[in-house]
Amino acid sequence: MRTRVALVAGKLSGGISRFLNIGGGSTFPGRVARFFDSGFVHQIEGELPKGSILITGTNGKTTTATLLADILDGSGIKPIHNSTGANLMAGIASTLVRETDLSGKLSKEIAVFEVDEATIPEAVKETNPRLILVNNLFRDQLDRYGELDTLAKKMKEAITKANSEVKIILNADDPLVASIGSGIEHDVFYYGIETPRYSKRKMEHAADSKFCSFCGAKLRYDLYQFGHLGRYHCVSCGWEKPETSVSAIDLETTGMNGTICMIRSPKGTIRAKIPLPGLYNIYNVLGAFSCALCLGIEPEGIIDAIENFRAAFGRLEEIKIGEKKILMILAKNPAGFNEVLRMLAEEDQKMDIMLALNDNIADGRDVSWIWDVDLEVMAGKAGKIFCSGIRSWDMALRVSYAGLQEESLVCESDLSSALDIALKSIPHGGTLFLISTYTAMLDIRKILAKKGYVAQYWEM
Amino acid sequence: MFLRICWLYSELMNIYGDRGNVMALVERCRRRGIDVEVETRNLGERIEQGRYDIFFMGGGQDREQLAVAKDLCGKKGEIIRDEIENGASCLAICGGYQLFGKFYKPFEGDELPGIGVFDAYTIAGKKRMIGNVIARSQLGGRSGLLIGFENHSGETYLSENISPLGMVEIGNGNNGSDGKEGAIYRGAVGSYLHGSLLPKNPSISDFLIEKALLRKGSLLSFTPIDESIEENARAQAIERARKSH
Ligand SMILES: [Zn+2]
Repeated sequence: MRTRVALVAGKLSGGISRFLNIGGGSTFPGRVARFFDSGFVHQIEGELPKGSILITGTNGKTTTATLLADILDGSGIKPIHNSTGANLMAGIASTLVRETDLSGKLSKEIAVFEVDEATIPEAVKETNPRLILVNNLFRDQLDRYGELDTLAKKMKEAITKANSEVKIILNADDPLVASIGSGIEHDVFYYGIETPRYSKRKMEHAADSKFCSFCGAKLRYDLYQFGHLGRYHCVSCGWEKPETSVSAIDLETTGMNGTICMIRSPKGTIRAKIPLPGLYNIYNVLGAFSCALCLGIEPEGIIDAIENFRAAFGRLEEIKIGEKKILMILAKNPAGFNEVLRMLAEEDQKMDIMLALNDNIADGRDVSWIWDVDLEVMAGKAGKIFCSGIRSWDMALRVSYAGLQEESLVCESDLSSALDIALKSIPHGGTLFLISTYTAMLDIRKILAKKGYVAQYWEM
Repeated sequence: MFLRICWLYSELMNIYGDRGNVMALVERCRRRGIDVEVETRNLGERIEQGRYDIFFMGGGQDREQLAVAKDLCGKKGEIIRDEIENGASCLAICGGYQLFGKFYKPFEGDELPGIGVFDAYTIAGKKRMIGNVIARSQLGGRSGLLIGFENHSGETYLSENISPLGMVEIGNGNNGSDGKEGAIYRGAVGSYLHGSLLPKNPSISDFLIEKALLRKGSLLSFTPIDESIEENARAQAIERARKSH
């Protein structure tokens, strides 16, 4: 009964917030429902015949979750999915409010939830997960999370308490993530990249997890993918990267168009044309592939869905503005940002770039992290550079230190004016590469929507 | 003219963009025509007496700080302390700043010894002090203000013999109670401020460079350099800190 009241209240509040045109409508109904019944998520989610899948990690959780939802959809299993990046408990509750009719019946049979890293303990407690996937742990908004080690420890504690039927899917290339799977009773399924093709680089400055989680000694890397991801071992206690069940064994990049790769799994080796650029998207694909495999979907069906995938909101979006284009890329921490730059630097053309830096809570209030971003790799590749957002001048300062052509640097804090200036100054048929933090990305989308270019993302 | 910078524990103590401080020192030397070289010294690598003009150390996570404290005690820490007594300059941020004091007392376990450059000590606090900081300081340039972002739970207390780097206007500073932020002793500056600190506070860079040159006997009259981007970044950050406070 109480759950029913909560559901009705949640649904009503959703209607009201839409009517009043209040932003953030994606979490409000959930907050209301949980206010009326703290066990709301547990009650409703418990009705899902196939349970739910929790996807977490600092980078790529939206892409991975959206990929998995697409794969499930393609194989005839309709999933619930918190697709707006509403990944705290209130967002999960809101998704359930939306997907339940007034009699308390759910419209779908399985849920794919992307979950904020620090919310995993709560989410494990309040849902009945079938699979839990941890994709990576990078330094991100530490002002909110505390230290990475602590975060991983809490995650492991939560997973230890989860039902022993739950399968744990982990990125083997991330030592901190891989350490979560060691010594737990659950079935653990690892994925990773096993080819050294693009790995002949030394570790980047933003590298985070460099120490053995078991003895504290420094890890030795035989190969790096990016950040602290790669093949590693501990010289002191012998711990090493776990064996992978799903792995990319051959990679061939086609620049911004994506990557062609061979994916090996217990079901054989299959070729995949991944329509998303960058190594980090390979990990997202491998994660989604592993989940789907654990759910009994055949590799052919998985690859089909992956090859037809359209990027999740803001992760990589192309917007046509008359004759010109904007390529929007979300970058919220140094590891993600460096990977984006590395991908851009592979292009054979000079690029006009806009960098939008905000310091709201959702972006992380501390902008120090931009000094861990290797903007230097754009030397010779960057054309005009436009800095914008609440901390536009911090970004401009970073750009000037990177030795990129300062004479073509424009700084304009107001996002709308900056977009106008940037679009006016790029050539006909040209592309503006727009790299932005989270809340700046939301604002940019609103601005473009007003001009009639993209749908506002909460129109779902 | 030539300066050599020693970047202490570049691999372990480099959180929240601390390397921006090294980049700022290099860039300002370069703009003034001073040749500069950066060498990193990590765990187990010894420090040669007389080789370095400026030392830098950033912050790290607990586990990393423990390893560094062990590595620094003994000869290595002694050499750094001697160099600073002899006029070398130094910047120590956050975790580095704590280890440049006398000791750090965690919640549980033994005290971590510091190298004692600053007559100060740090104890673990319950509250994490996070946010933008504005502090009034003699090294704050024309406006007299330092700008940065703090993120620490350690509480540092200075003895009467040592001056703070500044007094907080917004934020917590050393311990959240006595209004002091950072420490300054001879050519050594300690601070909780990330930002990175030096790019947006160029007068601290100049102080460190000047002290280092002075020891070498070169009295350079600093010509002003174009700091318009720095000034804009400072103004924007100050406005942001005051507004969100
Ligand atoms: Zn080990």
